[in-house]
Amino acid sequence: MTQDDLTITDPKMKAHGVNVFYGEKQAINDVSIDVGTDLVTAFIGPSGCGKSTFLRSLNRMNDTVASARVTGQIELDGEDIYAPSMDVVQLRARVGMVFQKPNPFPKSIYDNVGYGPRIHGLAPNKADLDVIVERALVRAGLWDEVKDRLQESGTALSGGQQQRLCIARAIAVDPEVILMDEPCSALDPIATAKIEELIHELRGKYAIVIVTHNMQQAARVSQRTAFFHLGTLVEYGKTTDIFTNPKQERTKDYITGRYG
Amino acid sequence: MNRQTAPTDWKGAVMQKRIAGRYAAERRFRLMGLGAVLLSGAFLAFLLFVMVGNGARGFMYTHVEVPVDFRAMPLTVDKTRLGDADADQVIANAGLADIVAFAADEALGTDGSKLISENAWKEVRSAIKDNPELLNARTVFDLPASSEVDIAAKEGAKGALGAKVDALEKDGKLSTGIHWPFFRNADATDPAVAGIWGALKGSVLTIFIAFLIAFPTGVLAALYLEEYAPKNRWTDLIEVSINNLAAVPSIIFGLLALAVFINWFGLCQASPLVGGLTLALMTMPVIVIASRNAIKSVPPSIRDAALGVGASPVQVVFHHVLPLALPGILTGTIIGMARALGETAPLLLVGMRAFIGDVPGGICSPSTVLPMQIFLWSDEVDRGFVEKTSAAIIVLLVVLLSMNAFAIYLRNKFEKRW
Repeated sequence: MTQDDLTITDPKMKAHGVNVFYGEKQAINDVSIDVGTDLVTAFIGPSGCGKSTFLRSLNRMNDTVASARVTGQIELDGEDIYAPSMDVVQLRARVGMVFQKPNPFPKSIYDNVGYGPRIHGLAPNKADLDVIVERALVRAGLWDEVKDRLQESGTALSGGQQQRLCIARAIAVDPEVILMDEPCSALDPIATAKIEELIHELRGKYAIVIVTHNMQQAARVSQRTAFFHLGTLVEYGKTTDIFTNPKQERTKDYITGRYG
Repeated sequence: MNRQTAPTDWKGAVMQKRIAGRYAAERRFRLMGLGAVLLSGAFLAFLLFVMVGNGARGFMYTHVEVPVDFRAMPLTVDKTRLGDADADQVIANAGLADIVAFAADEALGTDGSKLISENAWKEVRSAIKDNPELLNARTVFDLPASSEVDIAAKEGAKGALGAKVDALEKDGKLSTGIHWPFFRNADATDPAVAGIWGALKGSVLTIFIAFLIAFPTGVLAALYLEEYAPKNRWTDLIEVSINNLAAVPSIIFGLLALAVFINWFGLCQASPLVGGLTLALMTMPVIVIASRNAIKSVPPSIRDAALGVGASPVQVVFHHVLPLALPGILTGTIIGMARALGETAPLLLVGMRAFIGDVPGGICSPSTVLPMQIFLWSDEVDRGFVEKTSAAIIVLLVVLLSMNAFAIYLRNKFEKRW
């Protein structure tokens, strides 16, 4: 099986018939998507189409919104993540998240990365934590830039470095899936290129889902693309197919820039 | 495009007038602002000037040299009992007061005993307790003058008293120095021995109790309301109630405390415990409001970040939200506490306005507080209390200013920038 096969035989996450409501308003309507284990999946669509909402329902970040309600089935390795037996804290450790605006804690670089392993008890002692922090920073491509100033505040870094620090923070707890919510929208083109490069390197180690406004970015980094419009999933398929040979009229209009 | 009107004449007389008017308005506003700043500065300077000018003398007291010869006038007292707990009583019963009065008459002329404080013999007593050998010798004591002599020495006086004081001063028998009993004693009817320590200790204990109760309760309430409580009609109602509670006049809290803590629970009257509970009731809403604002100002992105790596809600609160909100919470708390420290009205009703002649021993012994002491002294007939009142005001202001300085220090220490 090649990586670009359309059928995903071993999905990491399976969503089936998912609806998300904010109070009376329905934000997501009957969406079914399989997220491949070794793939980067991109969600594209115009603002307000529900792609971020759907992303946040994959690690139950929507729980923090009092009025949000999710129906349907979302599974991680065949386990229903909305089942009462699922511990949401563990789920978020297994399904990490990187946000739109870089949001490092106002603590040192070391503490930013070490925070997750510490609260989950992944590092029994300081030496283990040092190893985890170094590995995460190396994987996030930030180690060489910060290895001499790990005790400096994470908020003193540049925007692009902050975002890579956030990625390091997410991978420090060794997640299975990383959700990225427009990770480059607050960054300049050079920082964006670095993040995209990083996504390439992380592919295969983690299942990655990325929401983006930038269609070239989706084309560059992903193997699967889902196009959302008005809360529905219009089309989902191989990225090459979506961009070169869309089946739906609405997809075609969007990627050719007729609206959105 | 066709212009309907003539092009704007930016250099015309009308425009020049507008410009001049704008500048004038700007100048007027700046002058008014400056005037306001100068006026408040003048008020502050006036207050400090008057207080320090009057109050500084309150810390000083005039003493008169009086030689007492116990060989000529023996004090018949069993020396072995001077170390006992009832030594004070034993010495008093032996007639030390009369001996000292007689010595003063002898040394200072007729009515010499009126020139020294009626409590002056107590100083002799404590000296004897410290060193019983004094009973076998002639010693010159520096005894506190009576209130009239003290004022006459400080401000000058006319008539017989003035002449007497001038004579004493010429003989070098008067001395003025820092009056340590003022910092050691509790309230008294005689300004020579009245002190601020009782009220200061009462204030410290009261504020401590109030802080111990109001701070944890207020912060926990604020955290729960901001981080956990669902937003519905009930929490709206609670929010309105807390805001209203903060606006309730303080004397009403005093009535509430009288009814609940003293009449119902039967707690000790006039004590720092009840006073502290009363002030805690009054300060808690202020702390809740300040804490909620501080918690609200913690960016939601920090909460998202912590939740995103799998922190539980309690971990989010204690690892991230509370440390970031702490400077604001502490500032609000200390300002609330400073207000409570200056509060008199609610404490009137729980009995803290009584005359308390002893320094409070614990949180359940009767006591008074600084603002109450100021109020009580300002009501005294004896002129010696006028400057005591000012001195007490200075003590209160110093305590308040140090609390505010502490608040600023804490805010700067814990403030995180990003």
